[in-house]
Amino acid sequence: MSYHLGYGTNGFANHRLDDALELIADLGYTSVALTLDHDHLDPYADDLAARVDKVAATLSRLGLRSVVETGARYLLDPRRKHYPTLVCDEPERRIDFLNRALRIAADLGADCVSFWSGIRPSTVDPLTAWRRMRDGVTEVLAEAERLSVPLGLEPEPGMFVERLSDALRLREELGAPELLGITLDVGHCVAVEPQDAATCIRQAADLLVNIQLDDMRTGVHEHLEFSEGELNLPATLAALTEVGYTGVAAVELPRHSHAAPVVAARAIAALRAAAVHPTFPTTDFPGVTVDHPWLVTAEQQVRTDPTAIRTLFPAVGRKVGRDPLRPDDDPKGLVHGTVDDAARTTLLGVLADVLDPALLAGEVAQLYRYGDDAERRGVLRSLTTLPASAVPAGLDIIKDALRANDIRLVAAAMGEFTARHLDDHSWRHGVLKCLFVGVPLAAVADLDRRTDDELRRMVSDYAAERRAAGREVPADATTLLEGANS
Amino acid sequence: MRIFDPHIHMTSRTTDDYEAMFAHGVRALVEPAFWLGQPRTSVASFTDYFDGLIGWERFRAAQFGIRHHCTIALNPKEANDPRCVDVLDVLPRYLAKDGVVAVGEIGYDSMTPEEDEVFARQLRLAIAHELPALVHTPHRDKLSGTKRTLDVVRESGIGNERVLVDHLNEPTVAVVKEAGCWMGFSIYPDTKMDEHRMVTILKEYGLERMIVNSAADWGRSDPLKTYKTGKAMLAAGFSESDVDKVLWQNPVEFYGQSDRLLLDELPGFVANTDTFLGNSVLRGGGNQ
Repeated sequence: MSYHLGYGTNGFANHRLDDALELIADLGYTSVALTLDHDHLDPYADDLAARVDKVAATLSRLGLRSVVETGARYLLDPRRKHYPTLVCDEPERRIDFLNRALRIAADLGADCVSFWSGIRPSTVDPLTAWRRMRDGVTEVLAEAERLSVPLGLEPEPGMFVERLSDALRLREELGAPELLGITLDVGHCVAVEPQDAATCIRQAADLLVNIQLDDMRTGVHEHLEFSEGELNLPATLAALTEVGYTGVAAVELPRHSHAAPVVAARAIAALRAAAVHPTFPTTDFPGVTVDHPWLVTAEQQVRTDPTAIRTLFPAVGRKVGRDPLRPDDDPKGLVHGTVDDAARTTLLGVLADVLDPALLAGEVAQLYRYGDDAERRGVLRSLTTLPASAVPAGLDIIKDALRANDIRLVAAAMGEFTARHLDDHSWRHGVLKCLFVGVPLAAVADLDRRTDDELRRMVSDYAAERRAAGREVPADATTLLEGANS
Repeated sequence: MRIFDPHIHMTSRTTDDYEAMFAHGVRALVEPAFWLGQPRTSVASFTDYFDGLIGWERFRAAQFGIRHHCTIALNPKEANDPRCVDVLDVLPRYLAKDGVVAVGEIGYDSMTPEEDEVFARQLRLAIAHELPALVHTPHRDKLSGTKRTLDVVRESGIGNERVLVDHLNEPTVAVVKEAGCWMGFSIYPDTKMDEHRMVTILKEYGLERMIVNSAADWGRSDPLKTYKTGKAMLAAGFSESDVDKVLWQNPVEFYGQSDRLLLDELPGFVANTDTFLGNSVLRGGGNQ
């Protein structure tokens, strides 16, 4: 699982919502940030329920994941932009609106509802504003909890809750409610945060429920297309991968509606170029590559003498560690890999840079052939970074790993490379093997896309066999089969 | 009782053995590369075996809460077989691995010129890879073989403190102690040493540099002989900490010279060895 690139409908303000969603999906985005507005699923429409159903059906048909955004400019007050807010004198309509947004999100199956504090009026002192924020959020949280829909508080330049640290402090003061997460606009990080976007992402990490993508310049709150500002996009996307973010990451260009189709096409091209493998969580770990001096030296050695990798590769775990990257929800590193997996991927990336493609396939095959389980995992998780000429060698390696019974190898073998290149029959048997040996199906890249009727039949037979023996059917098997019925 | 079995061939053992070992306190072990019971006919047979030692067998042991390490070498018996000698060229790849904590088993079987050459060459590999060496002493003509072993060790330049001379018995222990090498004893049901003779040797020679193993393999052997030796030590008046020194601290100190021992608890297995001594029902976690 990786994050889902999307586009914000506030950047399609001059399109009908249906048209906007079609265009966004056509361009290859897999998610959408839906700003409720007078012309886009108006939350005050008389026939709201029917409209929500229709949008939900469209999202489902297009395969778009969604978040609900509440930053419409004149939805609540035709004269005053963004008014009323949570920190103004009459926040009731804002609270009512946020509660409506939560109900819509629940009906749409959206990930969360994003919101901001609003600008503190000059007549309201900061202590009062802070108290209003606490009260308002508490009130909205009650509805969020009733519906089990997370809220994402977005720090917004110029507003009362302006920086990530403000949002985190508010969250702490409220007792760190589980359903109060963070929406982070990476452009805002450039504009007003004391640290770069990647660092902000690592700081918020598990609290992130929604990401907005755009470029910006230091000190200037103006949403720019990628590469027009100062954002380091590759490092930012890599940080999302590194922290294991799996939600919506949608382009936020609300002032580009006049040229939306063209701008959205440019944006996804830039994103794809910056994140070569956006769906593979283990190919890029900048935190490791820049942070460990041994690895930096090792990279230089491989650049100077590619054969150095033969002695460096086995030593990686001893030098940089072996901890799982996400110990909380993946204690064995089966799904997201381990620190040494990440470091080995870096080394193989360097090798691919410096070695002739014809020699590269052979060297990688030898590293795998003579590798212990950890080295083999490193090779398996690196295969997507290798050039197309290495695909046949990569497939041989994958097939070898899928013959193994070491679950760490089986898990590492079911990544993005396999999703892209392995034939259907072998891939299905790989999935079934995961169920047999206890590898979580979360480790299988592109499971939804590649699951077909034949796999469902196989899993269904497997479940029947388990039941006949009086054994429990793995939850992952049940989930996969239930997915077929919905 | 926590136990580090410094010499046991788990590839030849069952999962029942793993469970029994864990239940009796074994938390870490070293599996030396050795003979298969029948001759190998090619280098590929070695590399597949080595792959198992650094991969599958480690994984298997971990399922039972036991940290697995190994030593890698061309064993003395097969050092005489020209079909096998080329395995020396691939040893450097394996000696670089995480789980490899020594070069071994090396040494003499029939004391041929071929064995001389292969033994010396593998001691050079140990020095080059900064690994200790596990040295097997011959079953036949043991005392003479042990003395010759110590000569070769001395000539190699490897530190005596980095050499464990294994399969010792009453006639051979003194020369090894004098040489300053570590002394290994394989406790067997009816050959080599038994636990009561072992206790007598410990009384006579002390606990320093003394290493006890089960050397269990595909032959008649017992993976709980380390534990039984510990019990025999206690019965003979040795203290708990004496037992810990012989069955844990000494092997950890010797193989620790590789800087590659992993001894932290495996996730999902409880820490206290006494809680479930002899009771595998309380064994937690794993993937069972």
